[in-house]
Amino acid sequence: MSVASETGLRKRQQTGVVSGAWRSIRGEFTDPEKRTAYWMILPTLLVVLLIAAGPILYAIYLSFWRVLPNGQTFIWLDNYVTLFTDSGFWGAAINTVVFTVASVGLEFALGLTIAVVLNRGFVGQGAARAIAIVPWAFPTVVSGIMWRLMYTDQVGIFAYLADQLGLVTGPILANSTAVLLGAVVSDVWKTTPFVALLLLAGLQVIPGDVYEAARVDGATKWQQFTKVTMPLLKPAILVALLFRTLDAWRVYDLFWSMTDRQLDSLSVYTYKFVRISQLNLSVGNAAAVLVFLSSLAIAFGFIKLLGTRAQEA
Amino acid sequence: MRRGVSRREFLKLSGAGIAGATLLGGCKDLASGFKSASTAGPNTLVLTKGPDTSGTLQKAIDTFNKEDHPFTVKWEVASADTGLYFDKMRTQFQVGGGEADVIGADVIWPAQFAANEWIEDLSDRFTEEMQSDFLASTIETSMYQGKIYGVPWYSDAGLLYYRKDLLDKANFQPPKTWEEMLMQARKIQADEGLKYGFTFQGAEYEGGVCNQCEYIWNAGGDVLAEDDPSKVLIGEEGAVLGYKTAQDNVLSGVATVASATYKELESLTPFIQGDAVFNRNWPFGYSIATGGKAAGSSLKPEWVGVAHLPTTNPDDEGFACLGGWDFCINAFSDKKDEAWEFIQWMIRPEIQKTFAIDAGFLPPRKSLFEDKKLLKEQPVMELAKSSFASTRPRPSVNPFYSDMSLDMAQSFNDTIKGDVTPEEATAELDKKLSRIASAAENVFNVGE
Repeated sequence: MSVASETGLRKRQQTGVVSGAWRSIRGEFTDPEKRTAYWMILPTLLVVLLIAAGPILYAIYLSFWRVLPNGQTFIWLDNYVTLFTDSGFWGAAINTVVFTVASVGLEFALGLTIAVVLNRGFVGQGAARAIAIVPWAFPTVVSGIMWRLMYTDQVGIFAYLADQLGLVTGPILANSTAVLLGAVVSDVWKTTPFVALLLLAGLQVIPGDVYEAARVDGATKWQQFTKVTMPLLKPAILVALLFRTLDAWRVYDLFWSMTDRQLDSLSVYTYKFVRISQLNLSVGNAAAVLVFLSSLAIAFGFIKLLGTRAQEA
Repeated sequence: MRRGVSRREFLKLSGAGIAGATLLGGCKDLASGFKSASTAGPNTLVLTKGPDTSGTLQKAIDTFNKEDHPFTVKWEVASADTGLYFDKMRTQFQVGGGEADVIGADVIWPAQFAANEWIEDLSDRFTEEMQSDFLASTIETSMYQGKIYGVPWYSDAGLLYYRKDLLDKANFQPPKTWEEMLMQARKIQADEGLKYGFTFQGAEYEGGVCNQCEYIWNAGGDVLAEDDPSKVLIGEEGAVLGYKTAQDNVLSGVATVASATYKELESLTPFIQGDAVFNRNWPFGYSIATGGKAAGSSLKPEWVGVAHLPTTNPDDEGFACLGGWDFCINAFSDKKDEAWEFIQWMIRPEIQKTFAIDAGFLPPRKSLFEDKKLLKEQPVMELAKSSFASTRPRPSVNPFYSDMSLDMAQSFNDTIKGDVTPEEATAELDKKLSRIASAAENVFNVGE
């Protein structure tokens, strides 16, 4: 620590706790070294404001306008009212919620199992890890089209199997429920390896001696898993769930390619309104703002959980 | 540009805004349509159009460039996906026009572009005398509020393909009504063990809208009133009957429910593999179906029959949906005379004949349907002559047709999947289209 900042520190200590918050903020700027630091990050801050916060706030502001080729009117929350009274929006929202809950739930359960298995030393462990990650390496659009082919009525293996087993009557892709389940299956196939990889990394940093201690205390394997592994794995779990939930919530490319635009998620709905429709551009903008705000809420929720749990652990 | 300004300004400013807000929202390519730096020289005319796998367009341009013209033509290849191409054109117009001088435009685009004054009024150039040789429906799609904005380039018409060998064997004539088609398909399916009776395009896209319009027209209904595009007729008897016919075709089991996921190729495949008795498709299917193994067809050429699409009632007039492409001139272009010179060259009968033979782009000129040599080279033109003569345009005279098409495609798709009854679907669609039509009336004074 330099002499200058030590002086700053002493000054702050001298002023005591009276209106401490203000003093400490002021202290940040009266301290010449800190002031220099702030000056140096100022351009970055401005850039961040300019390219991130500015456009977002502007988009939110624009969502209060109705825009048509012949002019624009300030209409307060009318775009949102239109959204909330549109059955298509609710259809897209329900699809998104079902898809998010089902796919993230399954991916977590399967991913955790795979991670625990891969974490055990066995012959061919490296090869097994490499193979497990393969589905994740596919671009989403490629895997979406691949799965579409497997579901089609003419050449699809899954359509054939489902038909033989009597699971679905009629073509999978022409059935709104079946096609949503199909999207979940395809997403689980593709992103379970990602979850497994993150959890595996979490498992590998848990030191062996805690298990040793648990064994000495007479803990069973199951107790070791629930009382030792799970709590220590919590940060990794939360990171994996955060990534997956956000990705699933914003799903666009999978729905677009696998169902050939026939299944709406909130993002697909937004695209159709913003890019194809001329009349509903502003409603689509409102939908985009909603997708952003809900994603933000999910992210904050997880970060809050992550922050407190990480400190506990 | 009295009308365009506010929206263009809005887009310029909000492009970044929406992109920012949707960074977390997954929309990625909002910025892709902005005007690119011009690569064309002062004596280069830019034509934009999607890819042409036959290579005929490039050959035609090369021929044009070798001839003695004061300028050369460059082809800027657009997206093969018509929706994306349209989206890009619209964005370019909104931010100042882009660099294309001549636009190869889908027949459903002219009104939407013209309403915003993005393309040039060609009434003085494309005279009524010149128009008289073109199919009436192709001229109709190029009109907006009494003026003409497009020049027909090539055309498509919805056709009924049938297995001539099997119909002959069962002693059937090509069906005149849908009911007759169902009866014939059932009989032939039972006798020959064919998997599909009939396939068509019912996916949620523009091609589904074409099939939908044909069902409605051929049941005596319409989407919008012909003389007043602000009047919605989709809730009326004829349209409901058209929806019923489509749903019955599927519910009867003759047309597979999978048709709700089919586009052109998916619906053609069962037919050319000998698994379907009937197929609704465009003329391009003929050369594939009769092309033998090399084209992926297991049918003998003489097995392939082409007929007019059936109607719901025997005394209904039968129509075919018009597809195809036009030439338009960018209103922002500074080479309008050159553009017109090139278009005139491209629609010369001999050039249109070359396109018809080499690329299968069928001409919109009535006189070419009488050209013996061409009919010999393109037998589908002879077979489909009556269908072309009875083509009708989609309700694209409405400048908010994109919005209409979104709702129409979804409504038709839901109906053939059996998720809604024809009455519910048409009543709901009537509400949506009426809202769009009245918006068009307010914004563009459509219908007066």
